[in-house]
Amino acid sequence: MSWIYLLIAGFFEILGVGSISRYNQKKDSLSLLILILMFGCSFLFLQLAMRVLPMGMSYAIWTGIGTSGGALLGMLFFKESKDWRRLLCIALVLGAVIGLKLVG
Amino acid sequence: MTKHWLMLIVGAFFEVLWVTGMKHSTSWLEVLLTLVAIIISFYALIRASEALPVGTAYAVFVGLGTTGTIIVSSLLFGESFSLVKGLLLAILLAGVLGLKIITGKKG
Repeated sequence: MSWIYLLIAGFFEILGVGSISRYNQKKDSLSLLILILMFGCSFLFLQLAMRVLPMGMSYAIWTGIGTSGGALLGMLFFKESKDWRRLLCIALVLGAVIGLKLVG
Repeated sequence: MTKHWLMLIVGAFFEVLWVTGMKHSTSWLEVLLTLVAIIISFYALIRASEALPVGTAYAVFVGLGTTGTIIVSSLLFGESFSLVKGLLLAILLAGVLGLKIITGKKG
């Protein structure tokens, strides 16, 4: 069940990243509310997963889903650059963050 | 553009504060300060994403936050710092720098 909590947390994080874009486009209170709800749910499920799973590994997987999913969402729905150098740099940052959480 | 990158650094700085706060808070005042740090850090992330692609902004926000957290836990809380960590930090910062250079040209 903890693994499912972790996947749900990552999913809400992707939606949270997406709702930052939505908020910046619309600047209304509904978008802000959605943003807070998405990240709130994400942290809640991450916390639930961490009760059982090791913290470093949970955080690494959560960040991995959220950051890569957020980048994909940006390219698919918000017309963000698909430049391979951009994707390579995001992958470098993400890979290093995951590595640091796993060794730390 | 540079202003928005500065916002990301501010966001990451407050991210380090709230991550540290979540781990080490012992009083209600510290919990309250942690909450304030969460709000400031996300506010800065949102402002940065006004001009930067959100995928880029979020990766840098997470990356710099992790860098800061590792530095703080080594310097203040005596966690071990290894060669592997140093190498990973170098890769991470190279990625952030690359994003800064590329984003400046093509948005």
